[in-house]
Amino acid sequence: MEKVMVLLRKAPYGSVYSAEAFRTIMGIAVFEMDICVGFADDGVYTIVKDQNPEKLDMKPLGDGFPMLADFGVSRFIVHKESLSERGLSTKDLVLEVETADSEQFSEIIEEYGRLLPF
Amino acid sequence: MKMGVMVLEGPYQHQAVDSAINFIKAALKRGHEIVGVFLYTDGVNNINKYINPPGERNISKELSELGKNGIDIVACTACSKFRGLRPDLKVENVRQSGLGSLADYLRSADRFVSFGD
Repeated sequence: MEKVMVLLRKAPYGSVYSAEAFRTIMGIAVFEMDICVGFADDGVYTIVKDQNPEKLDMKPLGDGFPMLADFGVSRFIVHKESLSERGLSTKDLVLEVETADSEQFSEIIEEYGRLLPF
Repeated sequence: MKMGVMVLEGPYQHQAVDSAINFIKAALKRGHEIVGVFLYTDGVNNINKYINPPGERNISKELSELGKNGIDIVACTACSKFRGLRPDLKVENVRQSGLGSLADYLRSADRFVSFGD
């Protein structure tokens, strides 16, 4: 099974990148690939609990991520420093994740080989 | 080596598509194979046939030229609909298709390179 890592680096609202990353994961997961989802920089906000973007006429993006397990996507990695720099911990997130420091994070990117950065 | 390419930005605002075109040309020159180019989000705007920059490089023409030389260039259908890029507005030698094409490129490529912001 081909390995692919989708990396979310940007804040969930204000641009389309995080939403498109989610669509990409859904779109390629049906082709039975080994998909890992990474969150770094402002991308960590994508899976923070209690998002209320309705006033922006957007749907809460975080809600979709726990459902990805049903599509065979079950590995989620969060860049540890990105989380702590923003005063967040894994308890603030909508799903269970692995955390990785910068070195571990780059090792995982290398392990997956094919990277789709958003 | 087999390579797949994705472009996430449109023409002239970002360098992404220019870098992608240069990368593809350089890779072909060195004997690598490009399995396909997936134009995603604003990247779909790069194949508008009415692009007409006076005295500057014509990005949609350059992509059409690559397509003519056998490179599979796909613009995401859904993204095209969002942006009003009707099929009749695209240059020749490129096509519109879905994320299945991206999945195909990911599976058939040894390396996958993304160009974005």
